[in-house]
Amino acid sequence: MAENTIRKIKWFWPWRDEQEEAWLRSMSQKGWHLSSVGLPCIYRFRAGEQMDYVYRLDYQTFPKKDKQEYQQLFRDAGWEYIGEISACQYFRKEVKEAEPLEIFTDVGSKIAKYKRILAFLWFFWIVLIVVFPVRGISMDNPYPWWGAIQVFNLLIWLFFTYAIIRLSLRIRQLRKL
Amino acid sequence: MLRDDTDKYLPLTESTCYIMLTLVEPLHGYAVMKKVEEISKGTVKVGPGTLYGAFTLLEKEGMIVKVKEENRRKSYVLTPKGKKALVNQIKRLEIMTQNGLSVMDML
Repeated sequence: MAENTIRKIKWFWPWRDEQEEAWLRSMSQKGWHLSSVGLPCIYRFRAGEQMDYVYRLDYQTFPKKDKQEYQQLFRDAGWEYIGEISACQYFRKEVKEAEPLEIFTDVGSKIAKYKRILAFLWFFWIVLIVVFPVRGISMDNPYPWWGAIQVFNLLIWLFFTYAIIRLSLRIRQLRKL
Repeated sequence: MLRDDTDKYLPLTESTCYIMLTLVEPLHGYAVMKKVEEISKGTVKVGPGTLYGAFTLLEKEGMIVKVKEENRRKSYVLTPKGKKALVNQIKRLEIMTQNGLSVMDML
């Protein structure tokens, strides 16, 4: 890898998206500009001049054709498309006077974004329950690894449950505005 | 007050209301953003995330329809259902405005 690029593995909770945007902005202010994103959660930064870029994250899934239209709309509004990680869409724009710096201009559409993520989390939560039900953790079973798998399933299920609760609370907090 | 099948959509948010107002004629996304800013005298600005969400929802509910697509830009226009919803919204706002104006000197 060239010296002027760095790769970072970064993960964030979906209700901490504004903090993630702020962090990406601070990287650009230091001269490290996000150049691409990729699964599972890999950021590539390229070295350059120190710039004040704001980064904004949307969450959208769509067929390929709609995606081009979606990107065009953002481009028209002055946003540069960087990439996506599992439906999380990354955009940036240079900070200039009189340039709008938000992609969501009302609370309703911001809530709608979180609801799209929430629907995705619920989907996985239900799939986990149906496909890998936790059938009680006991050590007296035919296979020694059985207990380990059960613990693993339980942890993943707890992870999704926690995410659903926190994201729902974030939506409720926004509703009060 | 008029009661019909568009009542469940009311009240429309300010952004949605303005987006629909611009769609009395076919417009694509960016033109809608510009027009909303202009006719609202700069009081309402619609970001692309908000606009895309509104387009998706309004199209799904049959309030707007795609009429043209060129250079990856789709143009939409109000449907009769969309017009009806907008008319009802405007009537609501008119009542509110009259109420506001009648107490204006007490404020």
